Amino acid sequence: MANQTSASKRIAALLQRALFYAMVAFIAIYALFPFYWAFNTSLKTEDEMFSRATYVPQAPTLANYRAVLQDDTFLLALRNSAFVSSTTALLSLAVGSFAAYALGRLRFRGRTALLYMVLSMTMFPAISILSGLYTVVREFGVFGTPFALILTYPVFTLPFTVWVLTSFFRGLPEEIEQAAIVDGATPFQRFRMILLPLLAPALVTTGLLSFVSSWNEYLFALNFTITNPAAQTVTVAIAQFSGVEAMQEPIAEIMAAAMIVTIPLVALVLIFQNRIAEGLA
Amino acid sequence: MSAAHASQFGGNQSGSGTGRQAAWFLAVLFVLLGVVAIGWLILAVARDPAIRVALQPAPVDGAATPSLIMAFLTRFGIVLPTMVLALGLMSIGLGLRVRTGNIVAARWANAALAWLAVGAGIVAVASLTRTLFALMRTPAGEPAATQWPQFVGATAAMLLFGAAYLWLNDRVDTLFSGQEQLGSRERRLAWTLLIPTLAVFLLVAARPLEQTFIRSLTDKRFAGREVPSFVGLQNYQELLGMRLDVVTCRVEEDTGTCMTARDGSIRWASIDRPLLEEGYRTVWNLPLPGPGLPRSLAVSGLDPDFLKSIWTTLLFTVASVTLELSLALFMAMTVNSDFGGRGLMRAVMLIPWAIPTVVSARLWELMLKDTSAGIVNRMLMDARFVDAPQAWLSAVTLQLPAAIAVDVWKTTPFMALLLLAGLQSIPRDLYEAAGVDGASRVRQFFAITLPLLRPTIAVAGLPHAGRAARLRPLQRALRPPATVHGHLQLRDAGQQSTGRLCVGREHHPLLS
Repeated sequence: MANQTSASKRIAALLQRALFYAMVAFIAIYALFPFYWAFNTSLKTEDEMFSRATYVPQAPTLANYRAVLQDDTFLLALRNSAFVSSTTALLSLAVGSFAAYALGRLRFRGRTALLYMVLSMTMFPAISILSGLYTVVREFGVFGTPFALILTYPVFTLPFTVWVLTSFFRGLPEEIEQAAIVDGATPFQRFRMILLPLLAPALVTTGLLSFVSSWNEYLFALNFTITNPAAQTVTVAIAQFSGVEAMQEPIAEIMAAAMIVTIPLVALVLIFQNRIAEGLA
Repeated sequence: MSAAHASQFGGNQSGSGTGRQAAWFLAVLFVLLGVVAIGWLILAVARDPAIRVALQPAPVDGAATPSLIMAFLTRFGIVLPTMVLALGLMSIGLGLRVRTGNIVAARWANAALAWLAVGAGIVAVASLTRTLFALMRTPAGEPAATQWPQFVGATAAMLLFGAAYLWLNDRVDTLFSGQEQLGSRERRLAWTLLIPTLAVFLLVAARPLEQTFIRSLTDKRFAGREVPSFVGLQNYQELLGMRLDVVTCRVEEDTGTCMTARDGSIRWASIDRPLLEEGYRTVWNLPLPGPGLPRSLAVSGLDPDFLKSIWTTLLFTVASVTLELSLALFMAMTVNSDFGGRGLMRAVMLIPWAIPTVVSARLWELMLKDTSAGIVNRMLMDARFVDAPQAWLSAVTLQLPAAIAVDVWKTTPFMALLLLAGLQSIPRDLYEAAGVDGASRVRQFFAITLPLLRPTIAVAGLPHAGRAARLRPLQRALRPPATVHGHLQLRDAGQQSTGRLCVGREHHPLLS
């Protein structure tokens, strides 16, 4: 009798476990399958693309990658994207960490209002300020250059950076600073010498998130660099990708380009995944 | 010795000659700065061509002159002049206070000098970069658009402010007297640190938003040079104007029954002719219950496409955010349990988010192909769910669900990570206590998990809900050729709103 219940319990536990891993596997496949499909397609020949879909390429070829890597426009776009995204991420970190320290650690009137202002910036759609930004970009004389994007990307990277870093600053215990206050350190010294080093992991996280969202941005990149193909970023280049042959969309080549664009991001995400998960807490 | 101590015990030298000279120098500098800022604003307004035209007396033939207020608002807006005026006045006020030898004012002046130096430095670098670019790009023999005067001026200003800051920073506590409360120091530091962020927001968010709003009240056209005139809410009315009428079905003359379309649906009578002439077009017919001839409620609008796109955006937002939040909660709770490979799962969940939307749109377009060359069709057919390939992208009824599915795929995992972080901050003892009290898992979920997770859900879900315009890159690629000209219902509300709702009648050619 007792033996029977323990056996059925064991079976139930086993079933539960199997169900759990089935769910995990389902989530993994759901998240990864399209990525695999892009990789799969990028290795296919043009002929195979239009026949019945195959789960693995029948005659894998690197011709698509070769074609993409010989395309000067695409390489230039890669360079532009790298420049714009890293500059934007660094600038947002520099400007945002100052503001986050003020909002997270210092007491002054209007703090809550400012915090909500920052949050509200993440709410309105970028497209509603597009035409106004166009005027600003023109006034600064940077229309059609990568600098137009460096000027405008803080619209979405800065609020995010400030918001995440502020919650980090709040999470640090008060005592850390108190010892320094006793030693007579000014607030700025406390910021620079005590809090900033503690914040390094958070800075990596937010910097990476800013980098990824700048790298993936499309709307501003399309509108502010449309007159100058030499200033295009990769997202615009991919969207306007046309192969050597006219009238036929080179889907396999587009997927190869997409893999090249996505792999650095995936690598960064894999390297820093622990920090990102902590950073969002 | 720390600065804080010096401020309390110092100050006895405030009457010294150097102190008085420093106070005078700072006072003159800041008053001058304020005067220059306000003067620059007045000059810029007075010399603006649009303002000058508006100031001229009305021509005799009765042609309308552009209004002065509109000229000012469209050229300068409200935010920028207000800021310049306020900062100018604050600068003058600060100068006057520094002159009295007040230490608080002197420290504010010190902080202001630091940012003035940085600001001038940025202008200097920017003008140098632009000059070098111009020199590089302009072919030899032609005059390049150099900016040497700006560069020299900004560099000089940077050196002046920087030197003044460095000099004052070491001496401010000995040269000026008075006490400052700790709270006041903290407040000054806070505002000092916030200045760059506020400047960025003012420049790239507040001003564009304000411009968008001002233009929405005018009849401005894109790239039009003339000063637009104020039209009030007319643009909004043209986009949102709608009315409800009750109509009957179209009656067949000989039989007295309702006419039906080929697919069997009832054909409704149109709204009254005068209304059609006003520009109303029926968007939806909602059948009404009741005896007699079938009647319907005709919803008509002045801009039927815009009303439809608002409805589509609403559907898209509600459906995708609901699906994403519930799926994300499921994912987060699964990954929250302890098991090997949890870290790997977290990384896997970040991948859909890291793929650029432009790329994922192309990718899903490929996967959703209408023939068996599309993997989704192939898989469904292999699993015998469908017999023939489905037209995911060209069938009108499948387009919106397809777009929602793509958005769900892209956003859910990232949202799940946000929720996961929230889940991990819920103390475990709460569940243990609930378990001891005999609460079921389901009960625990609704009594503990959901309430404690609510703030996280709000932060994860709300900003996303506000971003319906993210649809745009999705659609650009997910739009099959057959529907480019015609019946694609999923028109982007964002595109429409930049076109008219927010920007007056301005049509942005780059957006279409």
